[in-house]
Amino acid sequence: MATGETQLDRTLPGSGARVAVGQKIDPGKLAFRVGFLLLLAFFTILFLYPLVWLLSASLKPGSEVFSGGLIGSSLMWSNYPKLISDQPVLQWTWNSVLVTVLASSTVTISSALVAFAFAYFRFPFRGLVFGLVLAGMMLPGAVTMIPNYLIWDYLGWTNTLVPLWAGNLFASPFYIFMLRQFFLGLPRELFDAARVDGANYLRMWWSVALPLTRAALIVVFVFELKVAWTDLVKPLIFLRDLPTFTLPAGLKAIVDNPSIGGEKHFELLAVGGVIVTLPMVIVFFLAQRYFIEGIATTGSTGR
Amino acid sequence: MTAGIQGREVRVIGGVPWTRNTRQDLKWVLLFLSPWIIGFIVLTAGPMLWTLYLSFTNYNPIRPVTNFVGIENYARMLKDPHVLNSLYNTIFYTVLHVPLSMGIALLLALMLNRIGGRSAGFFRTAFYIPNVTPAVAVGTLFLLLLNGNSGVINGVLGFFGIDGPSWLNDPTWVKPGIIIMSLWTVGNTVVIYFAALKNVPLEMYEAARIDGASAWDQFRNITVPMISGALFFTFVINTIASLQLFTEVYTMFFGAQQGQSSGAGDAAEFYVIYLFHEAFEVFRMGYASALAWLLFAVILVITVVQIRVSRRFVYYEGE
Amino acid sequence: MRRAVPILVSMVLLLAACGPNAATPNPTTAGGGSQPASGPPASLEPLKAEGKLFAYGFAYKTGDIIAQTRADVFKDAYPDVDVTWSESGFEDQKFLTALASSDKPDVVNMPRNKIGTYVAQGVLDPISDCVGKTGFDTNVFYEAARNDVTVDGQMYAFPEFYNTRNWIINNKAFEDAGIDPDSLDFSDWDAIAAANEKLVKKNGDKITRIGIDPKIPEFLPLWVKANGGAVMSDDGLTSQLDSQETIDAVKYTTDLVKAQGDPTKWLDFRNTWDFFGGKNQVASNQIGAWPMEQWYLNVLAQNSPDVDITVKPFLTKDGQPITLEDGNSWAIVSGTDNPDAACALVTTMVATDTWVAAAKARQEDAEKNNKPQTGVYSGNQEADQIIFDKYVDLSDMPVFEAAVKAVLDNQANAFGWPPSPGAAGFQTAMTDGVNRVLSGGATPEDSMSRANQEAQDAIDSNAP
Repeated sequence: MATGETQLDRTLPGSGARVAVGQKIDPGKLAFRVGFLLLLAFFTILFLYPLVWLLSASLKPGSEVFSGGLIGSSLMWSNYPKLISDQPVLQWTWNSVLVTVLASSTVTISSALVAFAFAYFRFPFRGLVFGLVLAGMMLPGAVTMIPNYLIWDYLGWTNTLVPLWAGNLFASPFYIFMLRQFFLGLPRELFDAARVDGANYLRMWWSVALPLTRAALIVVFVFELKVAWTDLVKPLIFLRDLPTFTLPAGLKAIVDNPSIGGEKHFELLAVGGVIVTLPMVIVFFLAQRYFIEGIATTGSTGR
Repeated sequence: MTAGIQGREVRVIGGVPWTRNTRQDLKWVLLFLSPWIIGFIVLTAGPMLWTLYLSFTNYNPIRPVTNFVGIENYARMLKDPHVLNSLYNTIFYTVLHVPLSMGIALLLALMLNRIGGRSAGFFRTAFYIPNVTPAVAVGTLFLLLLNGNSGVINGVLGFFGIDGPSWLNDPTWVKPGIIIMSLWTVGNTVVIYFAALKNVPLEMYEAARIDGASAWDQFRNITVPMISGALFFTFVINTIASLQLFTEVYTMFFGAQQGQSSGAGDAAEFYVIYLFHEAFEVFRMGYASALAWLLFAVILVITVVQIRVSRRFVYYEGE
Repeated sequence: MRRAVPILVSMVLLLAACGPNAATPNPTTAGGGSQPASGPPASLEPLKAEGKLFAYGFAYKTGDIIAQTRADVFKDAYPDVDVTWSESGFEDQKFLTALASSDKPDVVNMPRNKIGTYVAQGVLDPISDCVGKTGFDTNVFYEAARNDVTVDGQMYAFPEFYNTRNWIINNKAFEDAGIDPDSLDFSDWDAIAAANEKLVKKNGDKITRIGIDPKIPEFLPLWVKANGGAVMSDDGLTSQLDSQETIDAVKYTTDLVKAQGDPTKWLDFRNTWDFFGGKNQVASNQIGAWPMEQWYLNVLAQNSPDVDITVKPFLTKDGQPITLEDGNSWAIVSGTDNPDAACALVTTMVATDTWVAAAKARQEDAEKNNKPQTGVYSGNQEADQIIFDKYVDLSDMPVFEAAVKAVLDNQANAFGWPPSPGAAGFQTAMTDGVNRVLSGGATPEDSMSRANQEAQDAIDSNAP
């Protein structure tokens, strides 16, 4: 309890009441703390248990998914090879990786380019144009969805992975906003020095601005990683044949179709769920700092 | 910032003095902006107008002939029971999801703020992890968890002696089930609130306590106003997202599975799901375009109202 | 000896497929299925076909042995045709996407009950040209299957599989309830309802065994037919979802479910079955009886070979055996730029010899893996005769042998879905209509009258 105590003592006063360091604890306060920790534990279980359950279901025999504890009568590692051999899961994974990496890199670079213009240059109607960029954030995807489909189809790129990432060549409002904030934080003198060296603006952006905003670029990159990896809408619209699917589209196909392992093969559904989720969990733990930092900054978008 | 150089008046265009430098830099500006400009014209503004145009036609890519039908699509929407039903479902969901998710997220953020230190980081991670789960996996997972007969959720309710309802088949309980699912991913909002809470200066609380303010007073008069920017932001963003709910519900109740007995039926039909059905499942793209513009209008109006109303309540640093 | 022959044959097949001579179609190969894979089906005039062909709705790579063998037969017979399979099953949305795109399919493998819709949209060509070119005898198909794909006297597709529905009875549950499966009269709806109440098992409020599962909304047409009606007129243009026969059938079947407890709980329970596994609802004694497609026998035989079941025909109230049939079909897409190859593909996939080759390969595969199999049910009667004569052997599983026999005996009594321009909308309306009664608390009259309106709208708005 000792460590918990010191932690509580260092508490920031969220809801006001604060315990001074070294103060003696009366029973009422102790009960409050115990209740507090129990509540915290309760919420933690609430959020983590479904994922644990999913993993456990993926390793059970099909008939036991809904019954018993977390460990079935036998540990069915074979569920994984079964789904992978039944369905082009490896192809889906590769497609997902390709789309995700391309989508993330293109949107990071293009948004950084645009953001720099807003941060560095003064140009006519800058405020107005920037407002237009921000307005794009509120736009429901549905209102541009149909023409986008028609455009990509006209170009002959439906049923390929191209429409899933190529739109990202054209920057994204939210990332423009975020990166602009970071660029604004850089001291202007740095750029002026580079100008004296005779560097053109593009060189300056690439070799001065980008290296200094590395952290922010990573934030954008991992954000888009998540967005691109989890997207189902674009694959539903643009992809037609199973081998072109991404993992989310593949999982939906499994859910829909009993003949390819879904509906009643609950253990295989769980396997699909784990396969599509696990890479994101790993990425999250590798880049946790950037995820959290990124989301924390989104809150300040409201200002 | 001088508007004149060497005594000559310089024209001001778009808030910027039109000097040689500005002119020279303009081509650079255009170069840097080019990704957004092209994207805006080709993938945003152009398509929006295109959608508007399509909404006055009976366009269907399968059929050879497209006719201009005037406002027929819009007139049809008024009579279409699916529009009414899906709008009702969507608004029902939004009205419950948004306040609930904000309330729970605030509670969790306050708790995190109270523990502080490293363990706050651990719990924050625990709360956030569900958010990295792809929406299609969330749908699949809750399809299993919400099973009314032996799903985990009814198992837990059963433990407390409650006979859990049929979340997937009973029309009355389908939307509450979906809301429960949606609350599993409040982690994003928690992280935003937690970050905002950390920025509240401690001295304000000290001062309040000296004045004898209760915990509740401090929360109401300091905490809430100080994080009102974050609250407002999540209010707007979550509302917009709720009105467009699609993937999880589509995964659970729609798609290629057909003719099966499921009691969900109309209860799970959300607006964007119906729009998607019209546009990409039966290819009535003209009608779907009209549906899209209605959605756009609804979101625009709601957002503007939210911004207007909240202007009076939101506190911004440095104002 | 029984083992050696198939192995020998498969080696020959393998050699034939690999050898350089396999490239030439050999029209002279004769002989009712003895060497099926070595040339185009003997019953056909050989077509000269070459070039590219895109077939939508068929998965080769992830397909089963039946799918792969038939595709291989085609490839062997027409080596100059470069086929691209879509590698996914038929989905309306994806098919429409394909049609709307620049990369249009030449051939499509789709459910027969959707043919009417696409014919109305002008998407499919009649197959008379192809029949003329090849001399294919369309009389080999079951009559009901042929009707499914015939619009205004024109045939628009070749039937592929032939799925029929019969009662599957879990003898163990019947024994528990003290009912003799043979003496229960399935034409007597009161008797079925009475049996239902005896068969259902509950633990408190929780259902642990379903008595009778009427399989609605999916099989509603079967119940309506048994009741002397039909859900749709024969020309597919008039919905009869609000007919008295339909309303009564909806009322009766939903009452069957309601008699077992809260219908939504009942559905939840059914959703937990290990349907395709060894602990399926029969093996786990979680069902009394239900009408089901015949392919499920194969699932049972492979995963729970020891279950004790009885298969009986679905009966009308007059005691006539009937069954609802459906399945896929092969059709040629209008405007294909390779009609000869398209024709070659659709005829080869449904030809007698092709089916026989597939059934044989499956039997060999089953023997190799020491698993039973209950046969391939094609839309081609001629093929079925050979298949069940030669390539299905259930002599050591009398329960399944009898079950298969019962299925075969009822094959000729089938009816299908009339081809309708509004098939998809009709299905949705019917499904929603029944579900509203089943779990939504609507009355059969109100709900089916609304469903009828929606169905008729769907038909009318899609009619050419």
